[in-house]
Amino acid sequence: MHHIYCPYCEEMREEEEYSYTGEAHIERPKDPAAISDEAWANYIFFRSNPRGIHHEMWYHAAGCRRYFNATRDTQSYKVHETYKMGEMPSITAQTLAVANLSEKGGAS
Amino acid sequence: MTNFDTSNMESPLHHRVAHTNAANAGVVMKEDKFRGQLNLRGNPQDVAFTSAVESVLGVALPMAPSSSARNGDTVVYWLCPNEWLLIVASGTQGQVEADLRTAMEGQHIAVTDISSGQTLVNLSGTGVAELMQKSTVYDCHESNFPVGKVVQTTFAKTGTTMCKLEDGSFDLVIRRSFSDYFFLWLQDASDEYGLSVS
Repeated sequence: MHHIYCPYCEEMREEEEYSYTGEAHIERPKDPAAISDEAWANYIFFRSNPRGIHHEMWYHAAGCRRYFNATRDTQSYKVHETYKMGEMPSITAQTLAVANLSEKGGAS
Repeated sequence: MTNFDTSNMESPLHHRVAHTNAANAGVVMKEDKFRGQLNLRGNPQDVAFTSAVESVLGVALPMAPSSSARNGDTVVYWLCPNEWLLIVASGTQGQVEADLRTAMEGQHIAVTDISSGQTLVNLSGTGVAELMQKSTVYDCHESNFPVGKVVQTTFAKTGTTMCKLEDGSFDLVIRRSFSDYFFLWLQDASDEYGLSVS
């Protein structure tokens, strides 16, 4: 059983209710005709596929049927946070690295 | 819009209703047939929208996540921040829809009659808590699922919108196309408690 917090239903729900819908924060080029084929192909086809922290979209398919964003660790599957569409993540690979560093510094 | 005559109509669970099998059944299923169901969408921040809906339904739209509101036969379920399910008395959905459209004239809204696509089923009895435990992934204990709460989740892997009532029973909105499957699951899952269908 894996629970994920839905920012619209405002509670933890079972993973079975959700579906994963790909990388988040991909901005459509403002003027597609003005950019190179390579830049357009990058927008259409290429995803970052990181090992570690990944910001991605999830869909609450069996629940409120809203899309939202999640910050998930692709190695551990840990969901660090979920946030509404249009918002920015408070946890990123950088903030986690800084937090880990200060933790280590405090221990020594 | 004219109200229709339900005397010649078959509800989604019509052919199952004759099936009663237990005298002291732990699970009692009752289909609340032909209730009018409308899907309503609009901007919850717009006072013109919320007050227009309230004037038609006689009850304010529930704004808190997973909440519901009642006014006699009219039940309003919160579905998401800008979407509600209105369950009204059988045959009145056409009139309610027309009244809503008149009251919200010119607004950016959507009212859709979905009465024929789904049906309302009530599950009660001493075995219903255990039945829910094995049928849905949602935690139906009263500490997590108080009276009046509305939860959209899965029931035996099919989508459902369920609400806890004051008498401890559950109202489930299920899809017409899944009603056969739902009943077969119910029959199997409530075998150990006994099932009564009315």
